[in-house]
Amino acid sequence: MMGKALSSDFLKIRGKGLWFLVFLGPIGLVAMQALNFGLRYDYMTQTYAGQLWETLLQNILLFVPLALFLGITLVSSQLANVEHSSNAWKQLLALPVSRSIVFSSKFTLCVILLTVSCLLLAIGTTVLGLSLKFNTDIPIGDIVRLCFMPLLASFPALALMLWLSLTIKNQAIPVSFGIVAAITSLFTINLSEYLPINWPIFAYLGPNQELFAGAGLALGAAIMLIGLLHFNGKDVG
Amino acid sequence: MNEWVIETKGLSKRYKGRYAVSNLNLKIARGDIYGFLGPNGAGKTTTIRMLLGLIKPSNGSVHIFGKALNKDKLSILRRIGSLVEYPSYYGHLSAVDNLEAIRRILDVPTARIAEVLDIVGLAKEARRPVKGFSLGMKQRLGIASALLGNPELLMLDEPTNGLDPSGILEIRELIKQMPKQHGITVLISSHLLSEVELTAGTVGIIRQGELVFQDTIENLHQQAKGSISLSVSEPELAMTLLKEHGINAIMNDSSILLEQTNNETIARMVKRLVERDHSIYRVEEKRKSLEDLFLQIVGEGKRA
Repeated sequence: MMGKALSSDFLKIRGKGLWFLVFLGPIGLVAMQALNFGLRYDYMTQTYAGQLWETLLQNILLFVPLALFLGITLVSSQLANVEHSSNAWKQLLALPVSRSIVFSSKFTLCVILLTVSCLLLAIGTTVLGLSLKFNTDIPIGDIVRLCFMPLLASFPALALMLWLSLTIKNQAIPVSFGIVAAITSLFTINLSEYLPINWPIFAYLGPNQELFAGAGLALGAAIMLIGLLHFNGKDVG
Repeated sequence: MNEWVIETKGLSKRYKGRYAVSNLNLKIARGDIYGFLGPNGAGKTTTIRMLLGLIKPSNGSVHIFGKALNKDKLSILRRIGSLVEYPSYYGHLSAVDNLEAIRRILDVPTARIAEVLDIVGLAKEARRPVKGFSLGMKQRLGIASALLGNPELLMLDEPTNGLDPSGILEIRELIKQMPKQHGITVLISSHLLSEVELTAGTVGIIRQGELVFQDTIENLHQQAKGSISLSVSEPELAMTLLKEHGINAIMNDSSILLEQTNNETIARMVKRLVERDHSIYRVEEKRKSLEDLFLQIVGEGKRA
């Protein structure tokens, strides 16, 4: 059943700009670093000689949480808006498919889209490093961790944003909230590591990276469950 | 045991202390076309949403195909096609893709899409994005989606809204065929009696959330039968005379009203009156149209 709902959702996002967003995020991040390194190539390669890959990853990392939060906000809102803007909830939920499946299918779709984004970021980072003639000793492990650990740690945001987007018809509310949260995340790094908004960056940086990713998954699952229960009991107006 | 396709018992929905629907006992027989009538805001859409499990009733129960909706929701919904209020459509997709999105969930053969588009007469426009459709075409697409899963029960909420007269006629013919050709039971809501008069076998009339009439359309016609009004020179004397002959009549101003309208009674009455030298000025039949009756039923209980 899940597969059917998911394939239906894939069809519905056609031409809604979601795939564009998926590509825009990673390409934007990589392009920024291409400029950063390209414009001051000599300075960068001299100053950071011997640790070029690390420097590149550090520079990208600064923007990964921001990009993730923005991506999550826009993807979940756009996805929900497919149903909101067409008054399709009453039609969709009168079909023989449980609301849990509908909700989980949207969640899965978000995860798939964001995973594709993160995968593109990994590929883009590697390609950028190679074309800047960094050594061929590619830190694959680090690149993969950079691209996917923050994603896992941002599951609470994903669950929350999807829940808000799916249940509030006026998408201005979840989108504003998400953008404010994304920008705030740039300035909260010195605050407590218990703040979930910091988890994506700590899931790559800190000691106990796995703990942050794991906590993200767990809290994300909890929020999704609450959202699911609320969505299940909601009247469709 | 369960001959009813839809049976609700004491179905109620309360919004912030006000009942949008209260104590509704609907009974809809298999193969029937049930016209669900009421003015705007009477609770028709709320009821249909409850029947589809879109909103939860505050009280009461819904049984469809003899099964409780809150227990067997998905297996019941599999056998229902619905169109609730204004049509739902994904504007950026073509008609075919809109149906495909639903088909993937219903899991019917792809060929069914062409079939339903053909039934509603949209086959030619199938590839155009739906946002460019006229309201009537969107409404037809909605009906096509409702038919997609080969339903046994169709719930159409104001399906002819926004259609032009020829579109209304087409949809009406389409709905009429459903029980005959496919054995489908149809629940169709409308705020116009004339709309369902020609298609429905049974009508339920809802007013301010309460079901005020539920019977066959023939019985509604019976109620709408006219009365005979008689104006004579001396109405009081005439009344006494009629009473002596066992004819029930009521005085209304200076005329006499007869509920019975069969020919013999009228003939007998006129004869008696003429024998006693009453001057008969007029014998009129006062017909109530169905629309009048509907308005009367709907209007009762409303503050003047």
